[in-house]
Amino acid sequence: MTLIPQLIKDEDFRKFREFFYRKTGILFEDSKRYFVDKRLIERIEATGSEGFRDYFTMLRFQVSGTELQMLVNAMTVNETYFFREEYQFECLVNSILEEIIAHRRDKAAPIRIWSVPSSSGEEPYGIAIYLLEHWPRISELDVEIISSDIDTDILTQARRGHYSTRAIQHLPAPLLKKYFRRRGEFYQIEDSLRDVVEFTRANVTDPADMRLHRHFDVIFCRNLLIYFDDLSRKQTAESFYDALNPGGFICLGHSESMSRISALFRVRKFPETIVYQKPWEAR
Amino acid sequence: MKRILIIDDAATVRLYHRGILEGAGYSVTEAVNGLEALERAAEGPFDLYLVDINMPKLDGYGFLRELRAKDIPQTPAIMVSTEAADHDQQLALASGANLYLVKPSKPAQLLAHVRLLLGEGQTS
Amino acid sequence: MGLRKQSPKSSASEDERRLPRDLPGLITALSAADPMTRRWAARDLAARPESCPALIARIAVETETSVIEVILTSLTLIGDNTAVAGLIDCLRSENPMLRNAAIEAMKQLPDEVAPWMGQLLEDPDPDIRIFAVDVLESLRHPQVEDWLIGVIAQDDHVNVCATAVDLLGEVGSERAAPALQALKARFAEEPYIQFAADLALKRISAN
Repeated sequence: MTLIPQLIKDEDFRKFREFFYRKTGILFEDSKRYFVDKRLIERIEATGSEGFRDYFTMLRFQVSGTELQMLVNAMTVNETYFFREEYQFECLVNSILEEIIAHRRDKAAPIRIWSVPSSSGEEPYGIAIYLLEHWPRISELDVEIISSDIDTDILTQARRGHYSTRAIQHLPAPLLKKYFRRRGEFYQIEDSLRDVVEFTRANVTDPADMRLHRHFDVIFCRNLLIYFDDLSRKQTAESFYDALNPGGFICLGHSESMSRISALFRVRKFPETIVYQKPWEAR
Repeated sequence: MKRILIIDDAATVRLYHRGILEGAGYSVTEAVNGLEALERAAEGPFDLYLVDINMPKLDGYGFLRELRAKDIPQTPAIMVSTEAADHDQQLALASGANLYLVKPSKPAQLLAHVRLLLGEGQTS
Repeated sequence: MGLRKQSPKSSASEDERRLPRDLPGLITALSAADPMTRRWAARDLAARPESCPALIARIAVETETSVIEVILTSLTLIGDNTAVAGLIDCLRSENPMLRNAAIEAMKQLPDEVAPWMGQLLEDPDPDIRIFAVDVLESLRHPQVEDWLIGVIAQDDHVNVCATAVDLLGEVGSERAAPALQALKARFAEEPYIQFAADLALKRISAN
């Protein structure tokens, strides 16, 4: 069998781009054409489709939505490492926490931050390190960091806190020295951090689990909702609304937008990034 | 170059309006619903908004009300909708639109509205 | 002060303890004074399809948008005939937020909405027909193209046709070409219809 090289025609690319934009909120500029075509052709071939038309029809009408999910996976690169999308942590210490402290009703309560999904722990430990290093008020206030995942194996890994050189590559050397211990090929995170981050199992689409995860001031939920279907996404956003204190914030991944998911939150533009807020007056 | 934000959930309508406006020398950005438009507006600034009424998540009325609550220079807005009834036009103006255009729009009419609100007269 | 482990009481929930979380308790909680209690009740009722009539009845009197959103999500998760009938009623609401949210919910329920589609596309109110075409946008259903061809061939309202053409550019095949040509002739004075039909024809023939 000879493989005929697939080609995505201009009109097909535009049609696909509009569809994908509507489904995911990710807009591919013309400059991404090569990248998009390459991934599309891979999926066309992997699914044994006859060509773009055939593939697009399946993508659009497949009731399970599995192929759309496969395509989203192919179009988004999801790596996890320490200080990924660091500008959000800057926003946390410079803008978000200051506003919460100034406006919240219960000034004595601890500030609660939820990082979900925990994955192997890079994000919650990263937040802990960032707060200790860049937020002087940490010495005046109590902060709780809770991190959850649906996968109990990954939670075990997160609690253990073993990381490869790849995971720590963006950490400045002094921080690596201060918070990790080298063990052969791996870096072991300090017990002082393992002791303060609480890991729990949670399925964000399960109301029973969500009832146990509440009263947060900030939720980091990056690059998770993009893998959900529309309904699960909306359901999760609504549960987050009740998991947050009034005035609480949600930080999503850089290619995600709450605008496609739910109207319950306010868009807040800070110098570092755009985040979403449960209104202070919300009941 | 004057910047216009087109807010409509229909891709073809965005493309149609984009063609007309870019053809007349404006720079165009798009948003698919009112919430996304508020994000774009926060990144702004724009010289004019072209706003559809019926959209998911946040409709055109909601967008304009939120925008007017915080948009200090009062950027002009044209509301475009399928709804021709007086009641809808009044609601549009009450939520902060400056002009109302009934869909489907005609190129000449759209450009006349845009130029009027941008204070460009008919000469440009 | 500083980082510390979550205190055991932080997540304890108070409000929903007041009412039992069985079916009658949850239905009572749907009209509680506190909107958060109402949202939690509506959320938990998604697991109880028999609560559909109570959820639908609540929409009519509910004033808090956040509660309406959760009720619509639960109706979508239930997704049976009663739920779909309730969503369709919302299309006739005076509240634009409710109409648009109902359209989005219906898009998630292709098999359940399909039997109603013929009737909705012939509704005397053009707004309802536009909403019906909007629902078709995300409906993963084999009949979508036929419905759209039917709309552009027969509907005499320009904006119903305009909405359908927009979608045909994405889902249409060669079969839609004659109807698109006929539509162009029927609305020869409308630049938008010319533009949208030409674009759809171009996209269809590109394949």
